[in-house]
Amino acid sequence: MIAPDADAPLIERVKQGDVKAFEMLVVKYQRRIERLIGRMVRDVDLVPDIAQETFIRAYRAIPQFRGDSAFYTWLYRIAVNTAKKALMELKRDPLVTEAARASRDEEDDSPRFDSELSDGATPEALLASKQIAAAVNFAIEGLSEELRQAITLREIEGLSYEEIAELMHCPIGTVRSRIFRAREAIAARLRPLLDTREGERW
Amino acid sequence: MSSGAIEGSGSAERLSALVDGELDSAAAAAVCESWKREAELRRSWHAYQLIGDVLRSDDLAAGAGRNVAFLVALRARLAAEPVVLAPAPLQERPPSLPIRAASAAAQRRSSRWMLGSAIAAGFMLVIGTFAVLRPGTAPAPGVPVASLAGPPPSGSNGAILREASLREASDLPGSAVVNARVIRDARLERYLAAHKQFSGSSALGVPSAFLRSSTLDADAR
Repeated sequence: MIAPDADAPLIERVKQGDVKAFEMLVVKYQRRIERLIGRMVRDVDLVPDIAQETFIRAYRAIPQFRGDSAFYTWLYRIAVNTAKKALMELKRDPLVTEAARASRDEEDDSPRFDSELSDGATPEALLASKQIAAAVNFAIEGLSEELRQAITLREIEGLSYEEIAELMHCPIGTVRSRIFRAREAIAARLRPLLDTREGERW
Repeated sequence: MSSGAIEGSGSAERLSALVDGELDSAAAAAVCESWKREAELRRSWHAYQLIGDVLRSDDLAAGAGRNVAFLVALRARLAAEPVVLAPAPLQERPPSLPIRAASAAAQRRSSRWMLGSAIAAGFMLVIGTFAVLRPGTAPAPGVPVASLAGPPPSGSNGAILREASLREASDLPGSAVVNARVIRDARLERYLAAHKQFSGSSALGVPSAFLRSSTLDADAR
């Protein structure tokens, strides 16, 4: 990992008591963490709970995170440990899953939460997923060469602004602006697809 | 969604820079503050992160519904957690600082001071992380240690804090940024500021280490 950790400014905020900065990190990493846990745990219903547990444990342990590794590497390890722990508990009591499912059906307070989180594999969700991927790829193709290069070097090659500025022979401010404009151009195509009815809940 | 989203393009562009970690601390603090308040920025943050994920791997593409639900549920759990605080000085510090051994007398005196001041001030100091219970409202970021301007401590307390420590503490820009809900009196502020050197290390996360760090810094810097 050559470039400095892009999460460093947010981590610094979290360490200063800014819980919302941690939420920003959650928004960033939730998908990846759930994908990782989903590879370890067959029962898809358990994935959101284990992911929640992962982030809570990470939050508690943030004071011990010293930046020796990238934040995601550290988070990854916590996710793996949390999933393993959950699997071990399952082995001890295979009825845990059944009991959890049963009690969820009885409670009123969060059925919508559960169905939203467990139904990642519904036909609607899969279609939305495909549409989003298609929108991003289509939008990228439609970008000017400069914008496409800037965002590709950043997001796929993982280069820092300084490195990109060198490669593209332009000032760092221009790199920053190009990446922003590329993101906005893609986001413009995405926003209609992103469950805007959920917008207020953010 | 109006294209007025771009009107705040100053903050959206800074948000984009924060995605890449390319913002200094002050600007990052400002963006986080805006993120708390503005739904549009929250949507943009989600969109920008999703774009990065999808560019790297199609199988992370997903609508926002799951993300929102996840975050809303997590918020409820986070609200029940003590706010973690591990304030780090803004300048680079050497990674390991020796914890100075002090005389037993100094240890006793400073422990008594700590207990005395805690009881006298009538506040509860949670030893361990600087934990704040039940942060119902959003913490005020960037609350600096302003009370260094207070009157110098009198009596035996004065012996504990050397002037050099006070000078050092007042040089630290914006250090000891803490949740405004932590109740502290001026003496404790100075005490903590004087021991700023131990922040950022896990020493503060351990009760005995915290007490140890209350020893007299005989060779004050």
